[in-house]
Amino acid sequence: MTITEWAKEVVLRLAHVPAEPNVPQGAEESVRVFNAGRNYFTWRMILWGLGNAAIALILLVAFAFSFIPTLPPLVRAIWLAVLAGAAGMLLASIPITYFLQRLNYEMRWYIVTDRSLRIRSGVVWLQEITMTFANIQGIRVNANPIERLLGLANLEVRSAGGGDSTTHGEPSSGHVGTFAGVDNAEAIRDLLVERLRVYRDSGLGEKTVEARDPLSLSAAREVLQETRALRNALASGPRSA
Amino acid sequence: MSASPIPPHIVAIERPRESLLTYYVLTAIAANVALPFVFPYLYFRYHTMRYRFDSDGIHMKWGIIFRREVLLNYSRIQDIHLRSNLIERWLGLARIEIQTASGSASGNMTLEGMEDPGGMRDFLYSRMRGTRKEQAGTASDPLAAVLHEIAGELREIRTLVERSRS
Repeated sequence: MTITEWAKEVVLRLAHVPAEPNVPQGAEESVRVFNAGRNYFTWRMILWGLGNAAIALILLVAFAFSFIPTLPPLVRAIWLAVLAGAAGMLLASIPITYFLQRLNYEMRWYIVTDRSLRIRSGVVWLQEITMTFANIQGIRVNANPIERLLGLANLEVRSAGGGDSTTHGEPSSGHVGTFAGVDNAEAIRDLLVERLRVYRDSGLGEKTVEARDPLSLSAAREVLQETRALRNALASGPRSA
Repeated sequence: MSASPIPPHIVAIERPRESLLTYYVLTAIAANVALPFVFPYLYFRYHTMRYRFDSDGIHMKWGIIFRREVLLNYSRIQDIHLRSNLIERWLGLARIEIQTASGSASGNMTLEGMEDPGGMRDFLYSRMRGTRKEQAGTASDPLAAVLHEIAGELREIRTLVERSRS
Protein backbone atom coordinates (compact mmCIF):
# COMPACT_ATOMS: atom_id res chain seq x y z
CA MET A 1 0.00 0.00 0.00
CA THR A 2 1.46 3.30 -1.01
CA ILE A 3 1.44 6.32 1.24
CA THR A 4 -1.25 8.06 -0.85
CA GLU A 5 -3.56 5.05 -0.65
CA TRP A 6 -3.06 4.93 3.08
CA ALA A 7 -3.70 8.66 3.40
CA LYS A 8 -6.80 8.34 1.25
CA GLU A 9 -8.19 5.61 3.45
CA VAL A 10 -7.52 7.64 6.59
CA VAL A 11 -9.11 10.77 5.14
CA LEU A 12 -12.17 8.91 3.92
CA ARG A 13 -12.63 7.26 7.28
CA LEU A 14 -12.17 10.55 9.17
CA ALA A 15 -14.56 12.36 6.87
CA HIS A 16 -17.12 9.52 7.12
CA VAL A 17 -17.33 9.28 3.37
CA PRO A 18 -19.28 6.20 2.28
CA ALA A 19 -17.02 4.15 0.03
CA GLU A 20 -19.24 3.80 -3.01
CA PRO A 21 -22.74 4.96 -3.89
CA ASN A 22 -25.38 2.29 -4.01
CA VAL A 23 -27.06 1.70 -7.31
CA PRO A 24 -30.64 2.95 -7.62
CA GLN A 25 -33.45 0.54 -8.43
CA GLY A 26 -33.61 -0.64 -11.97
CA ALA A 27 -32.86 -3.65 -14.11
CA GLU A 28 -29.59 -5.21 -12.98
CA GLU A 29 -28.12 -5.72 -16.44
CA SER A 30 -28.78 -2.13 -17.48
CA VAL A 31 -26.51 -0.55 -14.88
CA ARG A 32 -23.58 1.37 -16.32
CA VAL A 33 -21.11 3.17 -14.11
CA PHE A 34 -19.00 6.00 -15.53
CA ASN A 35 -16.18 7.93 -13.95
CA ALA A 36 -14.42 11.14 -14.73
CA GLY A 37 -11.89 10.85 -17.55
CA ARG A 38 -8.19 10.48 -16.83
CA ASN A 39 -7.52 14.00 -18.04
CA TYR A 40 -10.07 15.41 -15.66
CA PHE A 41 -7.39 15.36 -12.99
CA THR A 42 -5.12 17.41 -15.29
CA TRP A 43 -7.96 19.90 -15.69
CA ARG A 44 -8.47 20.07 -11.93
CA MET A 45 -4.71 20.60 -11.54
CA ILE A 46 -4.81 23.50 -14.00
CA LEU A 47 -7.61 25.15 -12.03
CA TRP A 48 -5.90 24.45 -8.76
CA GLY A 49 -2.58 25.80 -10.05
CA LEU A 50 -4.22 28.97 -11.36
CA GLY A 51 -5.98 29.50 -8.06
CA ASN A 52 -2.78 29.14 -6.08
CA ALA A 53 -0.88 31.33 -8.55
CA ALA A 54 -3.49 34.05 -8.16
CA ILE A 55 -3.13 34.01 -4.39
CA ALA A 56 0.67 34.05 -4.71
CA LEU A 57 0.42 37.03 -7.05
CA ILE A 58 -1.75 38.95 -4.59
CA LEU A 59 0.79 38.23 -1.85
CA LEU A 60 3.59 39.45 -4.11
CA VAL A 61 1.79 42.71 -4.84
CA ALA A 62 1.14 43.16 -1.14
CA PHE A 63 4.83 42.51 -0.51
CA ALA A 64 5.72 45.25 -3.00
CA PHE A 65 3.72 47.71 -0.89
CA SER A 66 6.17 47.24 1.96
CA PHE A 67 8.80 49.05 -0.13
CA ILE A 68 6.91 52.35 0.09
CA PRO A 69 9.61 54.58 1.63
CA THR A 70 7.26 56.75 3.70
CA LEU A 71 5.93 53.74 5.64
CA PRO A 72 6.68 53.89 9.41
CA PRO A 73 8.96 50.98 10.43
CA LEU A 74 6.44 49.54 12.89
CA VAL A 75 3.68 49.34 10.27
CA ARG A 76 6.14 47.78 7.85
CA ALA A 77 7.13 45.14 10.39
CA ILE A 78 3.49 44.22 11.12
CA TRP A 79 2.72 44.17 7.38
CA LEU A 80 5.61 41.82 6.68
CA ALA A 81 4.67 39.56 9.58
CA VAL A 82 1.07 39.27 8.31
CA LEU A 83 2.38 38.53 4.80
CA ALA A 84 4.77 35.89 6.09
CA GLY A 85 1.89 34.26 7.93
CA ALA A 86 -0.30 34.26 4.83
CA ALA A 87 2.51 32.85 2.69
CA GLY A 88 3.13 30.14 5.27
CA MET A 89 -0.54 29.18 5.24
CA LEU A 90 -0.56 29.04 1.46
CA LEU A 91 2.49 26.76 1.46
CA ALA A 92 0.99 24.53 4.14
CA SER A 93 -2.31 24.28 2.32
CA ILE A 94 -0.75 23.17 -0.97
CA PRO A 95 -0.30 19.49 -0.11
CA ILE A 96 -3.72 19.38 1.53
CA THR A 97 -5.59 20.98 -1.35
CA TYR A 98 -3.63 18.88 -3.83
CA PHE A 99 -4.74 15.77 -2.02
CA LEU A 100 -8.36 16.93 -1.91
CA GLN A 101 -8.26 17.61 -5.65
CA ARG A 102 -6.98 14.10 -6.18
CA LEU A 103 -9.76 12.64 -4.03
CA ASN A 104 -12.34 14.80 -5.76
CA TYR A 105 -11.22 13.27 -9.03
CA GLU A 106 -11.24 9.72 -7.72
CA MET A 107 -14.49 9.91 -5.75
CA ARG A 108 -16.85 10.52 -8.62
CA TRP A 109 -19.47 8.17 -9.93
CA TYR A 110 -22.02 8.60 -12.64
CA ILE A 111 -24.42 5.69 -12.53
CA VAL A 112 -26.99 5.09 -15.22
CA THR A 113 -29.71 2.43 -14.94
CA ASP A 114 -32.63 1.83 -17.24
CA ARG A 115 -34.91 4.04 -15.14
CA SER A 116 -32.75 6.59 -13.44
CA LEU A 117 -29.34 8.05 -12.96
CA ARG A 118 -27.35 8.86 -9.88
CA ILE A 119 -24.42 11.24 -9.67
CA ARG A 120 -22.18 11.18 -6.67
CA SER A 121 -19.40 13.68 -6.15
CA GLY A 122 -17.43 15.44 -3.48
CA VAL A 123 -15.41 14.52 -0.43
CA VAL A 124 -15.82 17.33 2.07
CA TRP A 125 -19.13 18.45 0.61
CA LEU A 126 -20.65 15.24 -0.53
CA GLN A 127 -23.62 15.21 -2.81
CA GLU A 128 -25.65 12.55 -4.49
CA ILE A 129 -28.25 13.42 -7.10
CA THR A 130 -30.91 10.98 -8.20
CA MET A 131 -33.16 11.60 -11.17
CA THR A 132 -35.50 9.38 -13.11
CA PHE A 133 -35.47 9.41 -16.90
CA ALA A 134 -39.21 10.07 -16.81
CA ASN A 135 -38.43 13.51 -15.41
CA ILE A 136 -35.53 14.48 -17.60
CA GLN A 137 -36.21 17.43 -19.87
CA GLY A 138 -32.98 17.89 -21.71
CA ILE A 139 -29.34 16.94 -22.12
CA ARG A 140 -26.55 19.37 -22.82
CA VAL A 141 -22.90 18.74 -23.57
CA ASN A 142 -20.43 21.54 -23.15
CA ALA A 143 -16.67 21.91 -23.07
CA ASN A 144 -14.34 24.88 -22.97
CA PRO A 145 -11.28 25.03 -25.28
CA ILE A 146 -8.88 23.58 -22.71
CA GLU A 147 -11.25 20.78 -21.85
CA ARG A 148 -11.61 20.01 -25.55
CA LEU A 149 -7.84 19.89 -25.88
CA LEU A 150 -7.84 17.35 -23.06
CA GLY A 151 -10.66 15.39 -24.69
CA LEU A 152 -13.09 16.15 -21.91
CA ALA A 153 -16.66 17.37 -21.83
CA ASN A 154 -19.35 18.05 -19.25
CA LEU A 155 -22.68 16.46 -19.81
CA GLU A 156 -25.60 18.16 -18.11
CA VAL A 157 -28.89 16.45 -17.51
CA ARG A 158 -31.77 18.77 -16.69
CA SER A 159 -35.14 18.24 -15.14
CA ALA A 160 -37.95 20.77 -15.18
CA GLY A 161 -37.52 23.97 -13.19
CA GLY A 162 -35.41 27.07 -13.24
CA GLY A 163 -32.54 28.71 -11.48
CA ASP A 164 -28.82 28.18 -11.48
CA SER A 165 -26.38 28.51 -8.71
CA THR A 166 -22.88 27.44 -7.88
CA THR A 167 -21.59 26.25 -4.56
CA HIS A 168 -18.14 24.91 -3.84
CA GLY A 169 -17.19 25.12 -7.48
CA GLU A 170 -19.78 22.60 -8.58
CA PRO A 171 -22.82 23.58 -10.57
CA SER A 172 -25.41 22.70 -7.98
CA SER A 173 -28.67 23.97 -9.27
CA GLY A 174 -31.40 21.73 -8.06
CA HIS A 175 -32.47 20.74 -11.49
CA VAL A 176 -29.17 19.86 -13.09
CA GLY A 177 -27.04 16.78 -12.77
CA THR A 178 -23.58 17.08 -14.29
CA PHE A 179 -21.38 14.31 -15.56
CA ALA A 180 -18.31 16.47 -15.07
CA GLY A 181 -15.15 15.81 -17.05
CA VAL A 182 -16.09 12.66 -18.87
CA ASP A 183 -14.01 11.57 -21.86
CA ASN A 184 -16.83 9.64 -23.54
CA ALA A 185 -19.57 12.25 -23.50
CA GLU A 186 -20.87 11.19 -26.92
CA ALA A 187 -21.34 7.61 -25.86
CA ILE A 188 -23.07 8.62 -22.63
CA ARG A 189 -25.29 11.04 -24.48
CA ASP A 190 -26.34 8.34 -26.92
CA LEU A 191 -27.06 5.98 -24.06
CA LEU A 192 -29.20 8.57 -22.29
CA VAL A 193 -31.06 9.49 -25.46
CA GLU A 194 -31.81 5.85 -26.08
CA ARG A 195 -33.13 5.36 -22.54
CA LEU A 196 -35.17 8.54 -22.79
CA ARG A 197 -36.89 7.36 -25.94
CA VAL A 198 -39.27 5.22 -23.89
CA TYR A 199 -40.93 8.31 -22.43
CA ARG A 200 -43.08 10.19 -24.85
CA ASP A 201 -44.97 12.36 -22.39
CA SER A 202 -43.92 15.76 -21.10
CA GLY A 203 -42.27 14.45 -17.99
CA LEU A 204 -44.36 16.53 -15.64
CA GLY A 205 -46.68 15.19 -13.01
CA GLU A 206 -48.30 11.80 -13.27
CA LYS A 207 -49.48 10.06 -16.35
CA THR A 208 -53.09 11.11 -16.71
CA VAL A 209 -55.14 8.14 -17.82
CA GLU A 210 -58.38 9.48 -16.41
CA ALA A 211 -58.23 12.45 -18.75
CA ARG A 212 -60.36 10.51 -21.25
CA ASP A 213 -64.01 11.42 -21.62
CA PRO A 214 -65.78 9.69 -18.69
CA LEU A 215 -68.79 9.09 -20.96
CA SER A 216 -66.90 6.50 -22.99
CA LEU A 217 -66.42 4.48 -19.82
CA SER A 218 -70.12 4.58 -18.91
CA ALA A 219 -71.02 3.72 -22.52
CA ALA A 220 -68.70 0.71 -22.36
CA ARG A 221 -70.34 -0.34 -19.07
CA GLU A 222 -73.74 -0.14 -20.76
CA VAL A 223 -72.54 -2.35 -23.61
CA LEU A 224 -71.22 -4.79 -21.03
CA GLN A 225 -74.62 -4.93 -19.31
CA GLU A 226 -76.39 -5.58 -22.59
CA THR A 227 -74.03 -8.33 -23.68
CA ARG A 228 -74.32 -9.95 -20.27
CA ALA A 229 -78.13 -9.87 -20.52
CA LEU A 230 -77.90 -11.26 -24.03
CA ARG A 231 -75.73 -14.13 -22.85
CA ASN A 232 -78.09 -14.90 -19.97
CA ALA A 233 -81.05 -14.87 -22.35
CA LEU A 234 -79.20 -17.20 -24.73
CA ALA A 235 -78.11 -19.51 -21.95
CA SER A 236 -81.61 -19.95 -20.57
CA GLY A 237 -83.45 -19.57 -23.90
CA PRO A 238 -83.17 -23.03 -25.65
CA ARG A 239 -84.02 -24.98 -22.48
CA SER A 240 -87.35 -23.20 -21.89
CA ALA A 241 -88.32 -23.41 -25.52
CA MET B 1 -50.39 5.92 -8.19
CA SER B 2 -51.14 4.90 -4.64
CA ALA B 3 -49.32 1.62 -4.92
CA SER B 4 -47.93 -0.09 -1.84
CA PRO B 5 -48.59 1.36 1.63
CA ILE B 6 -45.99 3.53 3.31
CA PRO B 7 -43.66 1.48 5.52
CA PRO B 8 -44.54 1.95 9.22
CA HIS B 9 -41.09 3.20 10.21
CA ILE B 10 -41.55 6.09 7.79
CA VAL B 11 -45.09 6.89 8.91
CA ALA B 12 -43.69 7.01 12.45
CA ILE B 13 -41.30 9.85 11.61
CA GLU B 14 -42.50 13.05 13.14
CA ARG B 15 -39.54 14.82 14.66
CA PRO B 16 -35.99 15.31 13.41
CA ARG B 17 -33.34 13.46 15.39
CA GLU B 18 -31.60 15.15 18.25
CA SER B 19 -28.22 15.49 16.62
CA LEU B 20 -29.79 18.08 14.33
CA LEU B 21 -29.92 20.43 17.31
CA THR B 22 -26.22 19.83 17.89
CA TYR B 23 -25.58 20.72 14.27
CA TYR B 24 -27.71 23.85 14.58
CA VAL B 25 -25.75 24.93 17.67
CA LEU B 26 -22.51 24.47 15.73
CA THR B 27 -23.93 26.42 12.79
CA ALA B 28 -24.92 29.23 15.12
CA ILE B 29 -21.43 29.30 16.64
CA ALA B 30 -19.90 29.40 13.16
CA ALA B 31 -22.05 32.44 12.42
CA ASN B 32 -20.20 34.19 15.30
CA VAL B 33 -21.36 37.82 15.02
CA ALA B 34 -24.82 36.82 13.87
CA LEU B 35 -25.18 34.27 16.69
CA PRO B 36 -27.84 36.16 18.67
CA PHE B 37 -30.03 36.14 15.57
CA VAL B 38 -29.17 32.76 14.13
CA PHE B 39 -29.33 30.72 17.32
CA PRO B 40 -32.93 31.50 18.36
CA TYR B 41 -34.09 31.00 14.79
CA LEU B 42 -32.47 27.56 14.52
CA TYR B 43 -33.42 26.62 18.07
CA PHE B 44 -37.09 27.24 17.45
CA ARG B 45 -36.87 25.77 14.00
CA TYR B 46 -35.65 22.53 15.53
CA HIS B 47 -38.26 22.52 18.27
CA THR B 48 -41.20 23.26 16.02
CA MET B 49 -40.20 21.06 13.10
CA ARG B 50 -42.80 18.39 12.39
CA TYR B 51 -42.94 15.85 9.60
CA ARG B 52 -45.82 13.78 8.38
CA PHE B 53 -45.55 11.16 5.68
CA ASP B 54 -48.88 10.00 4.32
CA SER B 55 -49.90 8.01 1.28
CA ASP B 56 -49.81 11.02 -1.06
CA GLY B 57 -46.94 13.12 0.08
CA ILE B 58 -44.87 14.83 2.71
CA HIS B 59 -46.01 17.52 5.10
CA MET B 60 -43.36 19.56 6.84
CA LYS B 61 -43.95 22.50 9.13
CA TRP B 62 -41.85 24.69 11.36
CA GLY B 63 -41.61 28.21 12.73
CA ILE B 64 -42.89 30.05 15.73
CA ILE B 65 -43.38 33.63 14.60
CA PHE B 66 -43.63 32.95 10.89
CA ARG B 67 -45.31 29.61 10.62
CA ARG B 68 -44.43 27.64 7.53
CA GLU B 69 -45.94 24.52 6.15
CA VAL B 70 -44.84 22.78 3.01
CA LEU B 71 -46.70 19.99 1.26
CA LEU B 72 -45.24 17.95 -1.51
CA ASN B 73 -46.57 15.05 -3.53
CA TYR B 74 -44.31 12.06 -4.01
CA SER B 75 -45.19 11.74 -7.67
CA ARG B 76 -44.26 15.37 -8.33
CA ILE B 77 -40.69 14.92 -7.18
CA GLN B 78 -38.31 15.82 -9.99
CA ASP B 79 -34.99 14.98 -8.45
CA ILE B 80 -33.56 14.19 -5.08
CA HIS B 81 -30.29 15.52 -3.74
CA LEU B 82 -28.55 13.99 -0.80
CA ARG B 83 -26.03 16.45 0.56
CA SER B 84 -23.82 16.43 3.58
CA ASN B 85 -20.79 18.31 4.75
CA LEU B 86 -18.07 17.01 7.01
CA ILE B 87 -19.72 18.11 10.26
CA GLU B 88 -23.07 16.68 9.27
CA ARG B 89 -21.51 13.33 8.46
CA TRP B 90 -19.76 13.24 11.81
CA LEU B 91 -23.13 13.70 13.45
CA GLY B 92 -24.73 11.14 11.16
CA LEU B 93 -26.87 13.74 9.41
CA ALA B 94 -27.58 14.56 5.79
CA ARG B 95 -29.93 16.91 4.01
CA ILE B 96 -32.35 15.47 1.53
CA GLU B 97 -33.29 18.22 -0.88
CA ILE B 98 -36.38 17.47 -2.86
CA GLN B 99 -37.05 19.33 -6.08
CA THR B 100 -40.29 19.79 -7.89
CA ALA B 101 -40.67 21.51 -11.23
CA SER B 102 -40.87 25.01 -9.79
CA GLY B 103 -38.64 27.85 -10.79
CA SER B 104 -36.08 27.95 -8.05
CA ALA B 105 -32.64 26.49 -7.76
CA SER B 106 -32.81 25.70 -4.07
CA GLY B 107 -34.75 22.70 -2.92
CA ASN B 108 -38.51 22.94 -2.57
CA MET B 109 -38.27 20.98 0.61
CA THR B 110 -35.25 20.01 2.61
CA LEU B 111 -35.63 17.10 4.95
CA GLU B 112 -33.23 17.49 7.83
CA GLY B 113 -32.36 15.24 10.73
CA MET B 114 -33.65 11.99 9.27
CA GLU B 115 -32.72 8.84 11.16
CA ASP B 116 -31.46 7.08 8.04
CA PRO B 117 -31.00 9.63 5.23
CA GLY B 118 -29.96 7.03 2.68
CA GLY B 119 -32.95 4.83 3.42
CA MET B 120 -35.30 7.79 3.30
CA ARG B 121 -33.85 8.84 -0.04
CA ASP B 122 -34.40 5.35 -1.41
CA PHE B 123 -37.99 5.39 -0.15
CA LEU B 124 -38.69 8.72 -1.85
CA TYR B 125 -36.97 7.51 -4.97
CA SER B 126 -39.22 4.45 -5.08
CA ARG B 127 -42.26 6.77 -4.99
CA MET B 128 -41.00 9.02 -7.77
CA ARG B 129 -42.39 9.04 -11.25
CA GLY B 130 -40.72 6.64 -13.58
CA THR B 131 -39.14 4.24 -11.11
CA ARG B 132 -41.64 1.51 -11.80
CA LYS B 133 -43.11 0.28 -15.00
CA GLU B 134 -46.17 2.41 -15.50
CA GLN B 135 -49.02 0.17 -16.49
CA ALA B 136 -51.33 3.09 -16.97
CA GLY B 137 -52.41 2.02 -20.44
CA THR B 138 -53.20 -1.57 -19.56
CA ALA B 139 -54.14 -2.95 -16.18
CA SER B 140 -55.15 0.13 -14.25
CA ASP B 141 -57.27 1.70 -16.99
CA PRO B 142 -60.95 1.13 -16.04
CA LEU B 143 -62.18 1.51 -19.61
CA ALA B 144 -59.83 -1.21 -20.82
CA ALA B 145 -60.99 -3.44 -17.98
CA VAL B 146 -64.66 -3.01 -18.96
CA LEU B 147 -63.86 -3.66 -22.62
CA HIS B 148 -62.05 -6.84 -21.65
CA GLU B 149 -65.14 -7.95 -19.73
CA ILE B 150 -67.32 -7.21 -22.76
CA ALA B 151 -65.02 -9.29 -24.92
CA GLY B 152 -65.33 -12.13 -22.41
CA GLU B 153 -69.12 -11.93 -22.50
CA LEU B 154 -69.16 -11.93 -26.30
CA ARG B 155 -66.91 -14.98 -26.31
CA GLU B 156 -69.37 -16.76 -24.02
CA ILE B 157 -72.26 -15.79 -26.30
CA ARG B 158 -70.41 -17.12 -29.31
CA THR B 159 -69.81 -20.50 -27.67
CA LEU B 160 -73.46 -20.64 -26.61
CA VAL B 161 -74.62 -19.88 -30.13
CA GLU B 162 -72.24 -22.47 -31.59
CA ARG B 163 -73.42 -25.09 -29.07
CA SER B 164 -77.11 -24.47 -29.80
CA ARG B 165 -76.43 -24.82 -33.53
CA SER B 166 -74.66 -28.14 -33.35
